[in-house]
Amino acid sequence: MQTLIELSDVTKRYDDDGHPAVEHVSFAVAPGEAVAIMGPSGSGKSTLLNLIAGLDRPTSGTVTVAGERVDKLSETGGARFRRQQVGMIFQFFNLLDDLTVADNVMLPAQLAGESRGKALGRAGELLAALHISQHADAYPARLSGGERQRVAIARALVNRPALLLADEPTGALDSATGSEIGELLLDLNTSGQSLVMVTHNPDLASRYAGRVILLVDGRISSDVTTGPQVRR
Amino acid sequence: MRSGPVRRALRGGLGRRRVQTAVIGLVLLVTTGAAVLALAVVADSNAPFDAAFAAQRGADITAKINPARASPARLAATRRLPQIVAAAGPFAEVTTSLQLTIATAGPAGAARLLIPSVTLVGRAAPDGPVDDIALQSGHWPTGPGQIVLSGNQAGSSLPVQPSPGMPVTAVGAAGKPELTVVGIASSVTGTADGWVTPAEITRLTTPQEPASTQMLYRFRAAGDDAAVRADAAAVAGALPPGAVTAIQSYLPVRLQETLGIAPIAPFVAAFGIIGLAMSVLIVAIVVSGSVVSGYRRIGVLKSIGFTPGQVSAAYAGQALIPAAAGCTAGVLAGNLLSGALLGRAASVYQVGTLGVPSWVNLSVPAAMLVVVGIAALVPAIRAGRLSAIRAIAAGRAPRSGGGYGAHRLLGRLPVVRPVTIGLAASFARPARTAVTLVATLLGAAAVTFAVGLGASLTRVESGLSLAGTEQVFVSLPTAPGSGVSGVRMGAGGAQSTRVALLPKGVRPAAPAAAEHAVAAALRAQPGTAHFVAETDQQVTVAGLAQQIPVTAFRGDAGWTGYQMISGRWYTGPGQVVVPTHFLTVTGKSLGNPVSFTFGGRQITARIVGEVFDGDNSGLAMITAWQTLASADPRLAQTSQYDVELRSGTSAPAYVQALSTALGPAYGVSLNGAGRGLPLVLGLIDALTLLLGAVAGLGVLNTVVLQTRERVHDLGVFKAIGMTPRQTVVMIVCWVAGIGLVAGLIAVPLGIALQRYLVPVMASAAGTALPASILDVYGGWQLGGLALAGMAIAVAGSLAPAVWAASARTETALRAE
Repeated sequence: MQTLIELSDVTKRYDDDGHPAVEHVSFAVAPGEAVAIMGPSGSGKSTLLNLIAGLDRPTSGTVTVAGERVDKLSETGGARFRRQQVGMIFQFFNLLDDLTVADNVMLPAQLAGESRGKALGRAGELLAALHISQHADAYPARLSGGERQRVAIARALVNRPALLLADEPTGALDSATGSEIGELLLDLNTSGQSLVMVTHNPDLASRYAGRVILLVDGRISSDVTTGPQVRR
Repeated sequence: MRSGPVRRALRGGLGRRRVQTAVIGLVLLVTTGAAVLALAVVADSNAPFDAAFAAQRGADITAKINPARASPARLAATRRLPQIVAAAGPFAEVTTSLQLTIATAGPAGAARLLIPSVTLVGRAAPDGPVDDIALQSGHWPTGPGQIVLSGNQAGSSLPVQPSPGMPVTAVGAAGKPELTVVGIASSVTGTADGWVTPAEITRLTTPQEPASTQMLYRFRAAGDDAAVRADAAAVAGALPPGAVTAIQSYLPVRLQETLGIAPIAPFVAAFGIIGLAMSVLIVAIVVSGSVVSGYRRIGVLKSIGFTPGQVSAAYAGQALIPAAAGCTAGVLAGNLLSGALLGRAASVYQVGTLGVPSWVNLSVPAAMLVVVGIAALVPAIRAGRLSAIRAIAAGRAPRSGGGYGAHRLLGRLPVVRPVTIGLAASFARPARTAVTLVATLLGAAAVTFAVGLGASLTRVESGLSLAGTEQVFVSLPTAPGSGVSGVRMGAGGAQSTRVALLPKGVRPAAPAAAEHAVAAALRAQPGTAHFVAETDQQVTVAGLAQQIPVTAFRGDAGWTGYQMISGRWYTGPGQVVVPTHFLTVTGKSLGNPVSFTFGGRQITARIVGEVFDGDNSGLAMITAWQTLASADPRLAQTSQYDVELRSGTSAPAYVQALSTALGPAYGVSLNGAGRGLPLVLGLIDALTLLLGAVAGLGVLNTVVLQTRERVHDLGVFKAIGMTPRQTVVMIVCWVAGIGLVAGLIAVPLGIALQRYLVPVMASAAGTALPASILDVYGGWQLGGLALAGMAIAVAGSLAPAVWAASARTETALRAE
């Protein structure tokens, strides 16, 4: 099987004495898969996502994403890796309030060295695709939660990443808006975008992910493939 | 108000803001140190002399009396004048020539040094009601053949430091009696160059140099020149006409001694004031920043029962505790720096340790704390007044601030995004940006000022020493009894005489032959560009109590490099140029005639120029050879030759070659300029570095504050692919733009300060300045100085930028 993500016997400890946040975790994700990582609070879901994104390094084990050993990357290497391979979506959107919507979306492309013109063109495409192009010149504080998350998704996709990582993408949204975002993620996955999302919402996981990994106390409790998602 | 909770809150605040706490402490240390140094220098600029004057009961005037005109009874009667509180004398006094035999390291083993005009006084004991002479070593003369020489004190004309046991020949006296130096002593006002027993004076007099009488007086009121003149007139009026032949006031001596240190005070004071202003700004940034970034904490404190007063106290204390520590350390640092500067003056006068006055040590930190306390209290009171709910709400709200328009505008520039985001960030908090800008501006202005000040002082030194033109001196051997006085040294100053040393056994050539030999040797040297003969003589100027030096050049001396403040260089005999201090003291101005006595004849010349010259602290004249030669044919002998070298000539090699050509009887020396300058330049550099560091700390503090406020944004930037290098660039750009603007404003400000303060310093030294001393900034230099603000900003922001770039992203993303 071709793999996009491969975690091999990964353990992460924040304290030498404390219980590991993630312990002996191994799994692989194929390109085009939509994987939901579930578990109760403190089970290590976000830690696992950070390890895949190269935001943190495992205490032991290896993390390989798109053929790159993420656990061995330097800070600069990690930043370049995220630009090229990973788009991230957060529960609280993490948009930059003093930049316009368009500027927020363009920023990762500009950091990667893209010209303003090209980045603006790509941002325009994404904002149109996500139905928020009318807000291109607005500031994030004036948008609704759902609109902000759409902007965050646009920003995550601007560099055409191989992998989309979503940390509780609907956690700060009401159920209707959460469903909209879920549908959007499903659409993206249907069009071939690989997706790993962390959620504690079983409904979101079952409806929008083809595979659910359950973490309990830092260990994989179950890893269930539910099959291709079905658009409702 | 219960202090326990406040103390705990305060401790917590200090612990969480260690960088800001350290910044406040360091800033106050530096500025307090500079202020203590400045005030100590100002306060003590007169102290060494005044202390010695009081301790030694210095003479307000030293009167030279013609004994043929005033009997001892008439002199005794002057003691009863109502103006007089104490008098000493009459002491017999004689002016003669001495020859000192000095041990040397060379093969000859000893050299003879001729001192042509020495004032010796016969005193049975060093102490007395006036002019209690301080014996530094040895003992007071107890019999014939013994002499105590002045330890090179104020007013002394001895060019070398004598030592006990040194043989001395009174070559000016009949039979050239031999004396031995038995002690070294000092008179605070320089009433004599040496002392012998009263009986010994008789042996030293000649019909040409008869003994005169010295009387020393202390007056009830002698605070200024007018009072001293009035008192002196009363003394002269109580004696027969013509009895008083000369009067020397203590005031010129005092002025001369204070000139060395007084010019330093203005620039040190300027640095102190700049430092104080920067302290206030930085403390205001720190405290208001901790209030703004600590809204949530303030809300929590108030919700658990803190009163507004307790909250205010906790926040003001966060600034005042490190400020107090910094002030204390600053006082210590200021005392150490001052000690180095003032210690030398204290040792010269033997007035013990000259320290920082206690009122300076108390008032400076007190004033600093008051000013800093006010700067801290304003935001602290604002914190106290916040309602708990508003504070918590404000603390939870995003704190991106303003500057949206700047982001939008700068985002369109064809510059990499981290730069434009960084530059735009400075518009988010305009008040903080303005304060940071002013702090950086002051630091950059201090740099511009210091560069100009250093260049001006270097030009002053060069202008006084003429080291750029008169690179080599050749002194001629002096024959005993020739009547030739010492020669002018390069560096202008109080001690202005130098004499040629004749190795033992070497006979001097006849004057004309010697001059011919020197001129021929100079012409033969390929490195010689110009040379001119000069003679240095003492003359008595009408209206001045003491003799002053006059330098006369034979031939064209226009190349010597004397800078004119006003008027012009002399063009012929009968014209003189004089320094500012001469004009001030004599009350004359350009175009006025000046009369002086030389060789027993009166000469009248016209003052045609005000020259920049520090010889004899500005009490001197420069003229053409013929001006003096008309009065005294003995002026045939040259004192020294001044030589300018061709460009590219090695001065040491030239001196070596010329010395070899002339032989050991001639003194060939380099112009040794700049001996006193390194200390002052070092002080300027140190203060500039400290103020630059303070400005850098202010920037660092702002960046740390901003980094903490924007830690979450930094996490986002890194999560979406900003590399550490891009993060550093962005953070540095938060303040680089501010630094650039500050630098551009600072340049004209620093130049204005230099153009204001350098003349003030010159005025304290008793001189005006030529324009060239002030016009020191070059075009390229101004360009570089304009970047000083940015350099300070970059230096101050680098450490927190690197720290932020290496911070853990996921931790930053979780930060509130």
